[in-house]
Amino acid sequence: MTRPGPYFSGEPAVELNGVSLRYDSADEVLSDINIRLKPGTFTFLTGASGAGKSSLLKILYLAHAPTSGDVRLFGQQTSTLSRKQLSALRRRIGVVFQDFRLLDHLTAFENVALPLRVAGHKAQDYSEEVVDLVRWVGLGDRVNAHPPALSGGEQQRLAIARALINKPDLLIADEPTGNVDPEMGRRIFRLFIELNRRLNTTVIIATHDMHLIGEFKSPVLKLQDGMLLADSSYEQA
Amino acid sequence: MARSSSLLPESDAREAALFFVVAALCFLAVLAALTARGTYTAAHAWSAQVEGEMTVRLTDTDRRGAEEAATMIAAMDGVTEARVLGEQELEELLAPSFGPGGIPDGIPLPLLIAVSADTDTSALADAINGALSQGGYVGVAEAHSTYAAEVRKALATLRVAAIGMVILLAMTGIAVIAFATHAALLARKDIVDVLHLAGAEDAFIARLFQRRFWTLGLKAGSAGSVAALAVTAMIVFSAQSSSAPNELLPKLSLDFWDLAILVVSPVIGGLAARLAARLTVSQSLKSAL
Repeated sequence: MTRPGPYFSGEPAVELNGVSLRYDSADEVLSDINIRLKPGTFTFLTGASGAGKSSLLKILYLAHAPTSGDVRLFGQQTSTLSRKQLSALRRRIGVVFQDFRLLDHLTAFENVALPLRVAGHKAQDYSEEVVDLVRWVGLGDRVNAHPPALSGGEQQRLAIARALINKPDLLIADEPTGNVDPEMGRRIFRLFIELNRRLNTTVIIATHDMHLIGEFKSPVLKLQDGMLLADSSYEQA
Repeated sequence: MARSSSLLPESDAREAALFFVVAALCFLAVLAALTARGTYTAAHAWSAQVEGEMTVRLTDTDRRGAEEAATMIAAMDGVTEARVLGEQELEELLAPSFGPGGIPDGIPLPLLIAVSADTDTSALADAINGALSQGGYVGVAEAHSTYAAEVRKALATLRVAAIGMVILLAMTGIAVIAFATHAALLARKDIVDVLHLAGAEDAFIARLFQRRFWTLGLKAGSAGSVAALAVTAMIVFSAQSSSAPNELLPKLSLDFWDLAILVVSPVIGGLAARLAARLTVSQSLKSAL
């Protein structure tokens, strides 16, 4: 696979050069991944179970450092950043985890408000915005409910609202429609696209749902056995 | 809008056990601190009392001769009072040797002169012995400070041991909190990871834990102090209501400084818990995400 050339001016939002990942002494789960995504692109990431999708996403949302290779987000080489700078960079990324990772002791409202609270915003400044978003994802009557009292689909929508609340520059979603009905799945995708278009948010969505991928006609990165397939659209120019 | 919940869940069974341990440590530390202070107060008071006292034991004279000798001694420089002890006082003094039956008839009792002085009693004893010889008396003056030195030494050792105990308990408390914080961090790893990925800085997460352990330390320390206060009050009450001599017991009077120890200890406990939590979390997070 050849290294992509600079097809656009300015810094890419996401740039991975020769990234590999190995957990302990096990085999590589990712091998020589090269990706450049310019700001405002909307990309699907697909592949069979165990292909390395989640591992690649973890590198992108800074939960793991690669074993080798460079990761640049918004022009910043992540391996050279201090812990404080990494925290600041993470605030520009919204993540929808496959297992939601909601905090059970917090209400729906508090879960969604978490990124704003972490960023030091005051509750009185964001409460209206949070309630609006919770309503938008269809949980207006569950604002004060705790995650264990919500269904799987409701928890997923809550996780999406949390990822969107601070209008991230990069949105990463791991199987975001896995627990919702097809109509809600489409609605969520339309929200992602709207976010992508209106706020120029770079969106990366890992999904198995080939039907949705086909419906939205966005570029697709295909992973197989930890490698990007040669025919995948790894370059978004 | 209701007040936001803590980002860490409410305390669980582990923290209840930790509360008990910190309360017990604070209880013991407060008792040790009160003992250290009580011992110091007792040693100080007792020393001050005996430093200026001496006893003159006369032989080969009668009570009238003893009264004259006392008058002579009272006129000496540095002596504030000199008086011959009465029979009743002598019997009380000798009671520990003869038991509740009292002193058997026919046993000759010594004539003793109790001397109070406002000067160095060792030097004064020599002067009194000289004056007694010159006056034709057969007797010897003994400064109480000779015996006080050994008692002071014992009390000082007890005080150092009590202070050492306070320091040891404080260090144990800090180590326990550090261990508990580390355990809490591992138990809450899921939450810590979510906070990190949401962009929380290490200091933000450390503040959550240090706030939690500050509150726990303060509450547990207060419980320990209140328990120590109750036990101390019981000891004071027992000591005061007992007819046994208690001059050498630590003075547990619950004065201003004793109460200060009771009030300040929980705050110190809370601050130590806060510091231990902060350092532990900051250190542990360096290897986190």
